Amino acid sequence: MMPKSKFRTKHFFGQALILLLAFIALTRCSTEKKQSKYLRSVGDIEADSKQDDPAFKICYGEAFLKQYFNYSQGLQYEGEMLKIKEQFEQAYVPVEVDESGWVRIRFVVNCRGESGRFRMICSNEYYESRDFDSRITDQLMSITKSLDGWKPLPDSENPEEYYQYLIFKIDNGDIIEILP
Amino acid sequence: MKYFCFTFMIIFCWKAKAQPNCKAYLYQGDTLKYEACLVAEKRAGYYQFTREYQEALDEALAIDSTFAYAYKVKSTAYLKSGDFITWKALIDKAVKYDHEGELFYRGWCRYQFFRDFEGAIADIELLDSLVDYDIGFGQNGDYHLEITRALCYKAIGQPEKAISIIEKKLSDSTYFASPYDYLHLGVLYLEKGAHDKAIAALKRQESENDLAENRYYIALAYREKDQLDLSRANLEMAKKLYLDRSRMFEPYTEHMDKIYLKEIEQEIAKSTKMAE
Repeated sequence: MMPKSKFRTKHFFGQALILLLAFIALTRCSTEKKQSKYLRSVGDIEADSKQDDPAFKICYGEAFLKQYFNYSQGLQYEGEMLKIKEQFEQAYVPVEVDESGWVRIRFVVNCRGESGRFRMICSNEYYESRDFDSRITDQLMSITKSLDGWKPLPDSENPEEYYQYLIFKIDNGDIIEILP
Repeated sequence: MKYFCFTFMIIFCWKAKAQPNCKAYLYQGDTLKYEACLVAEKRAGYYQFTREYQEALDEALAIDSTFAYAYKVKSTAYLKSGDFITWKALIDKAVKYDHEGELFYRGWCRYQFFRDFEGAIADIELLDSLVDYDIGFGQNGDYHLEITRALCYKAIGQPEKAISIIEKKLSDSTYFASPYDYLHLGVLYLEKGAHDKAIAALKRQESENDLAENRYYIALAYREKDQLDLSRANLEMAKKLYLDRSRMFEPYTEHMDKIYLKEIEQEIAKSTKMAE
């Protein structure tokens, strides 16, 4: 029969080993997550209190955010894309500069049809990152934020929240296309 | 139904072509690509936007950095999220390593997602110069790349060239017209002022795939010919079809020559005034 003290020592080392392994496994998992260059999904926008409207909240949590096309229902905006184009035609003042390319503003539409977490990327005509004159980008951002006809994605039970984007094709400071 | 079957057939064929059989690389003696292909299969079951999906492809590309297919499928989530910068960098690599296989996709996406008409024309024409077979359809199956090329020419101010390309394609006895071909041809004729030709093309569209759009545009053509009753009747039908969802539709973007309910209603109001 094993002496009691020897049994306790062995038991102690056994527990310590299990704890050590668990610690290594946990550390490894968190290290792997930290090292990944990806968020949960391509195009995800993390809430940022420094730049986002604090009043904007999503209803169901990040993991439930869809993409605008997930239900194949087309753009969910009161008055359709035509209305969006009309709003930009009325509000955007062309800027006379030799700057062309694309501007994308991506954002979230929540279950109440409110929009928030606006983020912008810009490129030249060769799809290379570039900055545009702020008189262009400030207008695009401001008009996009003012659009108030967004609707949640139609779902049989709950209104779904989603990521939406607008792309502006810019030709010498003027908008010549709005997508998608 | 006819167009549903047609679209299904196109998508099915494309999908069959799209998923590589890893063993094919092995038979070709490309063991590196075979290994990369097997690793890329780890993404199975994950949505293309997810971290896991992207990481599996990164792993595959770490094994074989010339694996064009991996670049292409990696690019798709960026395309659909509107990130044109990352998408273009990835799809350029796919094209670099498989010109013939991926030019169609880059050309089509430049047209559909970014209205990059010159870029789409360049890709489609380059592909056509490289192969001696039919260059095929765009990704969603709605358009043959020749028709896409025609629409791009229209968009950059060359409608005559667009008409010529579409007429030639539609006169090819081996070609089965796609869901919107006659509609676009009709609109091109209408914009040129060739009202009789426009009506003929739009009637053909009506018989092949009756949509709110062809009714709307034919109504405009009839109005130009002072056939106001026919114009009004077609506008009413356009509204009915629109509300029944028989209209141009694409889940990601909006088609060229698409019309909206408000536009139909404005034309109905105009025709009511003209009748007073």
